Amino acid sequence: MQTLVLCLFILPFLISAIIYLVSNLLVKILTIGTVIVLSFISVYLFAGIKGSISIIVPDYFNQLVTITDILLVLYFGYVAISRKSILIGIMTILQFGTLLYLITKIPSTEGTQFHVDKLSLFMFLLINIISGIIAAFSLKYIDEEDCSNFRKKFFLSTIMWFIGVMNMIVAADNIEYFFLFFELTTLASFLLIEFRKDEISVKNAITALWMNQIGGLAILGAILVSVFTKGYSSITFSQLISSAGTVGVLLPFALLAIAALIKGAQMPFSKWLLGAMVAPTPVSALLHSSTMVKIAPYLILRISPAIKGTPVATVIICLTAFVFLVAAIGALSQDNFKRILAHSTISLLGLMILMAAIGTEAAIIASLILIMFHGISKCMLFLNAGILEKVFHVKSTSDMENLGETGPFSAFVVAIGFMSLLLPPFGAFIGKWISIETIGNMMNSQKIIYAFVIVFIATGGAILSLLYFKVLGLLIARTGAKENIKFENTHPLYSGNIIILIFLILLGVISFPLLMEYYFAPVASATSHLMLNLKFIGTSIIIGNSKLPLIPIFIAFIMLPVTLILALFIKFKKVDRVKEYMCGEKIEYRFSSFYFSVDKANPYYVLIGTCFFIALLVVGGIY
Amino acid sequence: MNKIIIQLLLIFISPVIGGLIYGIERKVKARMQRRIGPPILQPFYDFLKLADKRAMIVHSTHAFFGIMHFVSLWFALAVLILGGDLILVIFLHLLSTSLLILGGFSTRSIFSHLGANRSAISALAYEPILIIIAVSIYMVTGSFDVSSILNYPTPLLYKMPLAFIALLLILPVKLKKSPFDISEAHQEVVGGAEIEYSGIFYEAIYTAKWLDYVFCYALIYLFAANNIVLSFVLITGSFLYINALDNSTARVNYKQMLRFAFGVAFPIAIINLLMTIL
Repeated sequence: MQTLVLCLFILPFLISAIIYLVSNLLVKILTIGTVIVLSFISVYLFAGIKGSISIIVPDYFNQLVTITDILLVLYFGYVAISRKSILIGIMTILQFGTLLYLITKIPSTEGTQFHVDKLSLFMFLLINIISGIIAAFSLKYIDEEDCSNFRKKFFLSTIMWFIGVMNMIVAADNIEYFFLFFELTTLASFLLIEFRKDEISVKNAITALWMNQIGGLAILGAILVSVFTKGYSSITFSQLISSAGTVGVLLPFALLAIAALIKGAQMPFSKWLLGAMVAPTPVSALLHSSTMVKIAPYLILRISPAIKGTPVATVIICLTAFVFLVAAIGALSQDNFKRILAHSTISLLGLMILMAAIGTEAAIIASLILIMFHGISKCMLFLNAGILEKVFHVKSTSDMENLGETGPFSAFVVAIGFMSLLLPPFGAFIGKWISIETIGNMMNSQKIIYAFVIVFIATGGAILSLLYFKVLGLLIARTGAKENIKFENTHPLYSGNIIILIFLILLGVISFPLLMEYYFAPVASATSHLMLNLKFIGTSIIIGNSKLPLIPIFIAFIMLPVTLILALFIKFKKVDRVKEYMCGEKIEYRFSSFYFSVDKANPYYVLIGTCFFIALLVVGGIY
Repeated sequence: MNKIIIQLLLIFISPVIGGLIYGIERKVKARMQRRIGPPILQPFYDFLKLADKRAMIVHSTHAFFGIMHFVSLWFALAVLILGGDLILVIFLHLLSTSLLILGGFSTRSIFSHLGANRSAISALAYEPILIIIAVSIYMVTGSFDVSSILNYPTPLLYKMPLAFIALLLILPVKLKKSPFDISEAHQEVVGGAEIEYSGIFYEAIYTAKWLDYVFCYALIYLFAANNIVLSFVLITGSFLYINALDNSTARVNYKQMLRFAFGVAFPIAIINLLMTIL
């Protein structure tokens, strides 16, 4: 088992080095082979490991981590100088100073540095399978990109080691290691975002870099505080969490939460994720679905036993509820398809973090469900956006009005993706619905705050569904003349990956009760350190105090996808066809939709978000 | 066992009940205008007439969405009558509305598109308020289950009158009644999303409207649970209120509607929510 876990860590790095050496055809075979192996390993590990395993690394590894840390920060310094970015410079100097100071102070922890528990295994599955699909997809995508062969290999290689770093970050127990991997993901995203090297790419990559560096700085701060706090003897997650109750100092957790919120692109740090859109589409897919931003809910889930019920959690909950609504409104005002997806990612990330911060069993299950299904759906939607761009040359929704006729399969994929993000039959909805129920159950302690959280979630949810139908509506319009729908053919690496993702979504839907019992529930109970009370009574699942009736959900499960699929293929024979009603006029027209501009409100969002971040620090400092 | 049979029967005949409500409504509205009005069974006559007409569709996808709108609405109503989860009911209802919106979008018809856009905005206006009302009900009764809400000892109206007012304010949006009938406004968008349906395929849309009546009055019934007199008063009262309003007001545009929903009805629902907590 331990060897297999190490495989997950090392294999991606190995392959990312080999990619440079071999021919293009071999790169393809190698990449696809690797992602299949990685996926199988992660599935096998999830099934095989019952409790948790610790991985002991040799002592020189600690030195290696420290040296890499320093080299990395030095590289950031180089970036600051070569790109003439003052912000990166400031962040780098701060990080460098703190790091050098810490190296002398950190008590050396020996032996166990990695701790693979249920939550890590859960994340392994998401990271390896979804990122693997994206890696396979980008083989074809990058082929069509206008750049040198070396840059293409660089792209693929970066994606591979990104996967490796992600595998390590979710297994790291030592926070110093966590810091290194955190910074490495920042580096990877920086390199990928500026891949196209044009002016806007470089600018946005710099934004992404310095914002995420603040997160790194917050982690260093967390280490610093815990080193100087009596009671936190070693700086590992397991130790910090187990002694948090007795020590009662929450500042390290508040700082870790800040790092998570920045990674999760919550206001006012949402700019970096929106800017990341300039990168090639597989990068967006990677950042949005399985890697990068998923560190945010992961980290909050990790520390949730320590912050549950504390004022720190309350501040996080308020912030994320606010972001959920505001980002949904932001999405409504967008026309660019990828930007719509980006806003809805930020919004749903808010919901995941919110659930994780609440920390009850049902809330954690809801968070896990959202993480999983959001990963799959967003990956599919972004890959599809890539296909739309490369094959159909459309980027904004207003250009998509003919898609229902020219590319019905792509339109269909968008439909499935949107449905699975929100509506009743699919997983993400169930997550959202448990959220509302859980918060309902939480009310007794801080009723007024939670009442507003519910209002924000409800309104945000309604706005998101409106958004999805608005976009979907533009996609499916056809004239009566195009009665027969023939799905378009795209390259097998394109359509194949999309079909796998659709299959995963449908599988998740059909096997939902099973997933609940054998997949989400064990992870949630291991994460929350609570005995999970999950029962099936009659036709309902009972989690803690929440009840989830299955039969109506199941019928809805069947109804929506079947409706969507049937709607495309059904034929009413022996019925006369007519032209659309147009008052007898013959005029040129284009279809459009409502857009609500919210640009004016952006500064206020940033201000409110900043206030929440400051509040988080203050609250963490006081308690 | 008896209860289940009654519930199933109720689900089964709910389109008929809705049709009767619609018939009575047309009569009442006519009388308010000092007309005689059509016979109460007129909706059913129309129903039969529509069934007899030559069926014409734009394309099958469009026609199918209309049928599924009816089916999913009926399903949502069934979950409500069987005492299911209120939040689930509200979302299923949103789903059925969405299918109609998709249907409206799926053709290349100007009025259909306009109407679908407007329906989406209407949904945006009433959906949050419905959810807040559901949460308020949960705060009072401690359950989202309609069956346990109905078993709550005192009628909800006394506990949360403001929620009832908020519901009354958004009902015209939901039932597409003036002043908030922008989504089907005949003079402007010629029926909106419904325009391209005809004959037997319009039947689904037509009966779905009846189901919507039953759905809305069932929501009102929730406020008077266990009290036959009160429920009769509430339902009759809101019935008269909606029709009087429909008769006496002019249509507003979508901005005014949103402003009203988020400026008046929404705060009322929020205040109600706060009151149930404090």
